[in-house]
Amino acid sequence: MAQATTTDTAHSKAGHKDHGTKRYIVVWAILLICTALTVWTGRQDLGGANIVIALVIATFKASLVVLFFMHMTEAAGTNRIVFITSFVFMLVMIFGVFGDLWTRNEMSLPSAAPSTLAPEIQVPGEAPAHHE
Amino acid sequence: MSSSDGSHAPRHPHLAGHFDTIEKQDYAARLGMWLFLGTEVLLFAGLFLGYTVYRHFYHETFHHCSRALSLNLGATNTVILITSSLFVAVAYWAVKVNKKGFALFMLALTILCAIAFLCIKYVEYRHKFQVGELPGKFFHAEELMQYPAANMYFTIYFLTTGLHAFHVIVGMSVLIWVAKGIWKGRYTPDYYVPVELGALYWHLVDLVWIFLFPLLYLI
Repeated sequence: MAQATTTDTAHSKAGHKDHGTKRYIVVWAILLICTALTVWTGRQDLGGANIVIALVIATFKASLVVLFFMHMTEAAGTNRIVFITSFVFMLVMIFGVFGDLWTRNEMSLPSAAPSTLAPEIQVPGEAPAHHE
Repeated sequence: MSSSDGSHAPRHPHLAGHFDTIEKQDYAARLGMWLFLGTEVLLFAGLFLGYTVYRHFYHETFHHCSRALSLNLGATNTVILITSSLFVAVAYWAVKVNKKGFALFMLALTILCAIAFLCIKYVEYRHKFQVGELPGKFFHAEELMQYPAANMYFTIYFLTTGLHAFHVIVGMSVLIWVAKGIWKGRYTPDYYVPVELGALYWHLVDLVWIFLFPLLYLI
């Protein structure tokens, strides 16, 4: 008896309340609608906006999964910091590399078969002689 | 065997010797899992970075190569994974409210979804092998030869979806192990952290696919 009371308190302290399954089903329905939406927008020709829309929808879907399926809304502060930090460093890595890309020339391909190497892919200034 | 705070409550049956209380043990387990999930995000981030760089240079190629994938199969797999995420979330809830049979049923559905996902992935891979849409030097798909770095697209395709499929297999195995524990009555409303962590891993598998699907199939 005493045991049950202790652990009940412990678990509600950890923040895991019983919400029933309704919220999971609502999140699932929104995820399916978003999937249909991203398939539809992906097939429209919107130029550069396509990738932006796709990433916005994917980020929204991912946030729903993290917040509700993975219970980030109820997770301890430390766990939130840990997970969010990994995303921050992912962005640092991607944008750091992009800072480099925007200020440099095209790269050569690591192991392309000759027929797939287009003539315009050369690295000016660094191009090996056999590319010429 | 009372806990060190001097209370007379019996020691929790699943409490390891090096933890004072079950709350501390649960806290440590959850923190460890989130740290691991953080490293998983960074693992996939490296591949996403490679994708981003090559897509930046070979925008047109990536567009045409993505049309070589089957949107129907990719979208079906997306729906399957999202639905499996729902099943595992409900299974976790069922363990917490002591509905053992329902939890096992939901986990069985999750594992079936995982198997369905892998079967569809196999159909997609088999087609890629047949038409020669393969990584690096193995690439020999005639109709895509005209695009520079088409082989790079398929290198990235196989690396990302392959690593993801490996995670599906691992996640499936973890869930089978969790289901075994529920079956044997090891996980109850009193002690369900392993179920929670297994479910977290499965959600991460879903999370990665949520990004892979639009980036590979819809560009």
